[in-house]
Amino acid sequence: MPMRNLSFRPHLSFQALCGWTVGALALAYVALIAVVMSYGAMTVSFSQSVKDDEASVAGLEARYLAAINSIEGTDYRVAGYAKPVAITYVPAQSATALR
Amino acid sequence: MRAQFRFRVRIIFGGVLFVALLLLVRLYGVQVVQGHTYAAAADQQFLSGGNTGLFDRGAIYFTRKDGTQIAAATLATGYLVAINPQTIEDPAAVYAAVSAVASTTLSRSAFLAAAGDRARVYVEVAHHLPDAAGKALAAEDLPGVQVLRERWRYYPGGSLAAHEVGIVSYGSGDTLSGQTGLESVYDSVLERSPDSLYSNFFAQLFSNVGSLLVDAKDAHEGDVVTTIEPSVEARLMHDLAAVNEKYSSRGSGGIIMDPSTGAIIAMASYPTYDENNLATVTPALLGDPLVEHVHEFGSIMKPLTMASALDAGAVTPQTTYDDTGCITVDHARICNWDYKARGVIPMIEIIKQSLNVGASWVATRLGQDKFRAYFTKLFGQKTGVDQPSESGALLGNLDTTQQVNFDNMSFGQGIAVTPVQMIRALGAIANGGVMVTPHLVSAIRLSSGVTRPLDWGAKTRVFSATAARETTSMMDALMDDTLMHGAAKIPTMSVAVKTGTAQLPSPSGGYYTDRFFHSFTGFFPSYNPRFIILLYTDDPQHVEYASETLDSTFLDLVHFLIDYYNVPPDRSATSTAS
Repeated sequence: MPMRNLSFRPHLSFQALCGWTVGALALAYVALIAVVMSYGAMTVSFSQSVKDDEASVAGLEARYLAAINSIEGTDYRVAGYAKPVAITYVPAQSATALR
Repeated sequence: MRAQFRFRVRIIFGGVLFVALLLLVRLYGVQVVQGHTYAAAADQQFLSGGNTGLFDRGAIYFTRKDGTQIAAATLATGYLVAINPQTIEDPAAVYAAVSAVASTTLSRSAFLAAAGDRARVYVEVAHHLPDAAGKALAAEDLPGVQVLRERWRYYPGGSLAAHEVGIVSYGSGDTLSGQTGLESVYDSVLERSPDSLYSNFFAQLFSNVGSLLVDAKDAHEGDVVTTIEPSVEARLMHDLAAVNEKYSSRGSGGIIMDPSTGAIIAMASYPTYDENNLATVTPALLGDPLVEHVHEFGSIMKPLTMASALDAGAVTPQTTYDDTGCITVDHARICNWDYKARGVIPMIEIIKQSLNVGASWVATRLGQDKFRAYFTKLFGQKTGVDQPSESGALLGNLDTTQQVNFDNMSFGQGIAVTPVQMIRALGAIANGGVMVTPHLVSAIRLSSGVTRPLDWGAKTRVFSATAARETTSMMDALMDDTLMHGAAKIPTMSVAVKTGTAQLPSPSGGYYTDRFFHSFTGFFPSYNPRFIILLYTDDPQHVEYASETLDSTFLDLVHFLIDYYNVPPDRSATSTAS
């Protein structure tokens, strides 16, 4: 069996190397544009989505604060409740009494 | 070989030149031939806002007692409607369609006039359409009608802490910015550049690599977290509105503060306004009376006079004096509120019975120099509260040498201070003699996600702890023994209080004899207070004393705060109150 020469000898010329490099760069450029456009579209979409959600939360917060406002503004005497005739306070217990 | 190489270089050069020429021709076409068309399109895009120009701004939060944050100011999203008079086909039909879904739009005549103005290409006719209404209108695809995304400032609480939160408007420029309240003070934190939402990663990469790694805006842009508790704020507002309406006052206000930190839990004044509906609000209503207006507060100044004299050693709680009911100082007559003499009485009675003659006696005993020094320390500077346009106190009488002026100041006449200055000074008594900085904001939540607490640590000792405690015990006795003839006493909770009734100054000089400024202050638990309250009502009708107008309001707030915050008792109740 004849001996085979296993040593690697590059056959790529300088011009071919430049050509491949230009091709790769062009491809990268196109890919970059695609990524930038996708990224921009997604950024806009996500930002809008976040702001929409925040606006929805603001609506719920408005309802919550309106409820607080209503509770604090309720006159319980008008609602039929009477002021207690007497108030009895429970004496404060010492810590040892709880054991 | 060299000739072949030269040939290839020429081909490449020729190709580059060809592409450059093509670009030049295209550029000429865009810039010169079609320039007007593109300019008009760009103008229209700019006017309509487009997606890249949507309004953006940080949020302001209330903080509930459990730490939950509720938006006080945020953004709402919806649609605006614009028409192009050059392409609109049936203005009457468009008006009908728009007015059917929009709550705010131009009048029919104004709309038709705008639609008839063929010189214009863009006129906004309706704002703040809800999502569903905007989408429904867009689906109709009416010729000459644009339905565009819109975002605007929204205040979920409406009028809740309106003066303190403030508003956003155009002011004198052409950009929206904070004009009053926290919106103004923290404008640099809340404002956002329009492009911040839709930043182009690669554009930034090529223009400014540093900003991608460490964005300077992240260090100062953020949301504002306040110390205002929405339930307490709502309660205070309702109580103030009730007092104001009951007595037809010119205005009323109140502040609830943590005396040990200066954190303001609620701050409100009446009349107020709805922040989401500014169309009918007069500009005078937008300022915050609690930091901008000065008042002569009357007898709630007496505890400060007493604390000063106790601190200086001019009097002790056991010191007595002979109360004659009226005295004459520098040819002016000073009398107790009821003109009655009390005889020889101890210092505590000056606070419990609110005696002007006694306060004057203490001021004389203290001496003008020391009185001047204490009151300059208490009121000589603005408080530094985070609200715009804070006013300073009117302390001209401190620079005089007439004793009558000092006597008047000892019971709160002839000295005018803002409510926030007053609560800060009274807070020194509650806080063991140390004065703190009142503030509404506890932290900034930065866009980077980091929460930066604000340091309000500037503290000033005005009185000794002993003097503060002795004054507190006098105010405590007023609550337990005198207020509502003792019926106001809370067996399980010590509360230190003082009422104040001042005559209103007349524009022609002197004071009205039948018009008053009522104030009320108190803190509890007396000897380790969690809350200090200041209330006032200006020029209430057909009532003379603050103990009549503000006592029930004050007590309502005290009981509310005890229940709401589960404030534990600070003394044992062995009796039954009725």
